[in-house]
Amino acid sequence: MEDLNIPGGQSVPGIQADVARGILAMQGDSYPENPFELFNPVIRWVEDYIDHETRPLALELELLYLNTSSIRAMMEIFDMLEAAHRQGRTVGVNWYYDRNNERVAELAEEFKEDCTFPFAILARR
Amino acid sequence: MDASGLYQLRQQLNREQALLCFNGPISHCLIEEMGKALRHYLEVDPANRDASMDVFSVYIEMTQNIQRYASRQGYNDQDGAATVVIARNERGRYVVSAGSRIEPRDGAALLARVRRLAAMDKAQLKAAFKEQLHKPRSTEPGAGAGLGMIDMARKAGEPIAATLSPFENGGAFFSLSVVI
Repeated sequence: MEDLNIPGGQSVPGIQADVARGILAMQGDSYPENPFELFNPVIRWVEDYIDHETRPLALELELLYLNTSSIRAMMEIFDMLEAAHRQGRTVGVNWYYDRNNERVAELAEEFKEDCTFPFAILARR
Repeated sequence: MDASGLYQLRQQLNREQALLCFNGPISHCLIEEMGKALRHYLEVDPANRDASMDVFSVYIEMTQNIQRYASRQGYNDQDGAATVVIARNERGRYVVSAGSRIEPRDGAALLARVRRLAAMDKAQLKAAFKEQLHKPRSTEPGAGAGLGMIDMARKAGEPIAATLSPFENGGAFFSLSVVI
């Protein structure tokens, strides 16, 4: 399987998926014109990684604003991590946020409520 | 519109304390650019960062809903035009309003949905949001997540409000207003 490297833009988050390191990282704002086009490859990557690798998977998130279509896509990714976790796989999320932006921390908290794997919400500065 | 008509329009927008207004065909690029301007205006109010985020978020959900619906209906530029106003009310709260053409049947369904959401409290809205979030994603291109309206209701400081104004030639104008 291959790495992903999607450059970020005003409404598109930067996304890097690294097979060798077992890390999926995302940064920035997410309110793309076509959410399926953006997120389907990412969802497929997570699926493939869980199916074909046995190593841990870590999500490193610095997402700032997500529209509801992006929230939906992220939930799909977290649901896959949850299923993997229940099968004994090591998965985890670190979601970094700026202390000035409490809204993103609230959103991360709501995701966390639906997950039983390690999900850290970390304030910066 | 002549020069004096424009002045009257400006006076009305000033009375409404409009930060930003737009009327015309909408595109993703325009949504991004207006969003950038909106964020810039809201930055002058750093004490109110959470409210600023909510204004931006409601603006994005509204305009993307309008754009998606217009493209799904195959509307031309004129029928797909959006009217967007971001203003402050007499109590200093931000009010995000947007409207566009809708087919009357869809308009009636949407109006009923807005009324159902407007009657819910915060806990009920959160439960509705989570329920919708865990439903399978529709793969139909152009279909929204179905979460946007609930999300707007959650960010609203007062019950969300909508009106449906039928056109004489069929079709209708649907407008939604959210007080942050």
